[in-house]
Amino acid sequence: MKFTIEREQLLKPLQAVIGVVERRQTLPVLGNVLVVADSNGVSLTATDLEVELVSHFHTEVSEAGEGTVPARKLLDIVRNLPADAQIELTVEQDRATVTAARSRFSLATLPAADFPTVEDIGEAQPLLLPQRQLRELIERTHFSMALQDVRYYLNGLLLELEPTGLRAVATDGHRLALAEAAADVQVSEGKQVIVPRKGIQELLRLLEPSDEAARVELGSNHIRVALPDIRFTTKLIDGRFPEYQRVIPAAADKIVIVDKDSLRQALVRASILSNEKYRGVRFSVEPERLKIQSNNPEQEEAEEELSVEYNEQPLEVGFNASYMLDALNAVETDQVELALTDANSSCLVRGRGDDDAKYVIMPMRL
Amino acid sequence: MTRKIIHIDMDAFYAAVEQRDDPRLRGRPVVVGGSPDSRGVVATASYEARRYGIRSAMPAARARLLCPEAVFLRPRFETYRKVSRQIQTIFRRYTALVEPLSLDEAYLDVSECRTCRGSATLIARRIKEEIYANTELRASAGVSYNKFLAKLASDIDKPDGLYLIAPDAGAKFVAELEIGRFHGVGRATEARMHALGIYTGADLRQWSLEELEAAFGKRGPFYYYIARGIDERPVRPVRERKSLGSETTFSRDLSDISAMLAALRPLAAEVLANLQKKQLLAYTFTLKVKFHDFQLITRAHSARAPVTDIEALMALLGALLERTEAVSKPVRLLGVTASGLRTASETEQQLGLF
Repeated sequence: MKFTIEREQLLKPLQAVIGVVERRQTLPVLGNVLVVADSNGVSLTATDLEVELVSHFHTEVSEAGEGTVPARKLLDIVRNLPADAQIELTVEQDRATVTAARSRFSLATLPAADFPTVEDIGEAQPLLLPQRQLRELIERTHFSMALQDVRYYLNGLLLELEPTGLRAVATDGHRLALAEAAADVQVSEGKQVIVPRKGIQELLRLLEPSDEAARVELGSNHIRVALPDIRFTTKLIDGRFPEYQRVIPAAADKIVIVDKDSLRQALVRASILSNEKYRGVRFSVEPERLKIQSNNPEQEEAEEELSVEYNEQPLEVGFNASYMLDALNAVETDQVELALTDANSSCLVRGRGDDDAKYVIMPMRL
Repeated sequence: MTRKIIHIDMDAFYAAVEQRDDPRLRGRPVVVGGSPDSRGVVATASYEARRYGIRSAMPAARARLLCPEAVFLRPRFETYRKVSRQIQTIFRRYTALVEPLSLDEAYLDVSECRTCRGSATLIARRIKEEIYANTELRASAGVSYNKFLAKLASDIDKPDGLYLIAPDAGAKFVAELEIGRFHGVGRATEARMHALGIYTGADLRQWSLEELEAAFGKRGPFYYYIARGIDERPVRPVRERKSLGSETTFSRDLSDISAMLAALRPLAAEVLANLQKKQLLAYTFTLKVKFHDFQLITRAHSARAPVTDIEALMALLGALLERTEAVSKPVRLLGVTASGLRTASETEQQLGLF
């Protein structure tokens, strides 16, 4: 195998895939990147056995072939070559050679046949949607995923395909985030998959806020997202996601309408004097007024008052300020709507007039 | 108001209990702790054994080299706990403000105690007498106006000591004290202090609050105040547990990951069982690894949800182990510690969705 390429054109795809190369691998070959060169150009593949990334670029290939090269060493070499360097990469038997002007590196390789790749995921009809849309779905929900919860099915993001569109749901058992996007999905019946946390984070890194298409394929055990220069594949979490529709309050009719930024700033200030571990703050609403109070074990206290739209009976309820702030940060409108029931029932947070994203937060007993 | 604090410390506690229960051991060097044939360490050495240079935490094998005729005994914690309950009962006759530090050591705040006309020194003497009458064991007491000085005082004429550092003597006492003997100054901090030219309390006192904060961060203010004999830490009747752990030194170094995982499992199980017994939930777990060359490292992970399941904990520990050099270096000790503790009732504050 042999090809020549400008430094910049090799650096970018290498950096795109390096994220999944773990520093400590269970298999030595996972520390390598698979390089495949043929008449279509060159592809680079990295994997941690859960997430696989394949980036592709066009260049003149003088000799087709494949091999695996130590990923981080290759990246470090390419990164440290001069910006205008012309790089030649050759793989012969068990050596890879990188040459550029008067620099020459000889690297140890491992057989390409030993590199685990995911080829066919047994996909159904692929779904095409703008990258921006997929990115927004993830951005608006991913922060509610659980982290290393023993309920392993919560350590990921639920993606749901329905004939009318796509839905993302994340929950850690205390709060939940849900976002929807209308899309022309060619499915006859609903389909659910849980994408692991790491895959979601990697995907969020790759998706651009652009109108270029992302091609999403759902296999039985994998999800694959093809972008213009890179293809992302991850295993799915095999588990049953909780029935999230059940916990979205339908009867929460005590509606508070408040300016999002004022509420956010008041919460940030009040939480300074909340208990560092639990971050509990008390919301007291009465007609036209929302009071936020907090105190910590040292008996220091904070109190914030906001003007709001509210015309119901007074109500007091406690929340973890972090959960509320996470939701507010994801809301895109200026006004936010909090739908409450009582001190023991969940609160539904929505941007006013935005029905595409919903945040459910369970209260704290204070 | 000036407080009256007593620090009570039993003399050579484990060894003294053994000598009490077996008259043949009296007057002889006794070492309680791990076996000298294994890699155990000395827990307590009797005063006879200390004359040979044997100290707590020293490898038992080394203790035997220093004094081959010493009697080496395994600890009998059940008995020690029984004695501990006896002395605690005595403390509580004088005050409810008792803060046990371990089985054989406690702080007492007797500011409100009216016995002995309110004299803390007389109360301390009475407590020592009652301890001896009830247990046939000797204790040393330190009396002062804060915890820091009371603890230093109890060490001064040990064994069977009683020493008072009166309020007007506190500052002078601290000024002459070597820096390594200050509360919270371990070997590392001591070395840093020496590097800064701080050898005694008087040296420390030359430093401003700001300078100490710059040099020692959060601990800075504490050093500033104790250099002036000021320590406002209250005597806390129930000590809040910060961590809970279990560890084991292997009789032969382990160099195989699967053997290490197998050795971690009982430790993990013990930690989880203790958490459960104490009704605590832990969010952070720390893996401690000591390599054959005595290099000690720790790797920690904090989860968002408490870990209560042995398999989940083993997976976590396995991942932490992979982040060490255990793959390539033989391991002599493994330990598991749980921290970030919350009581089960505290976490119920946050209601769940499902």
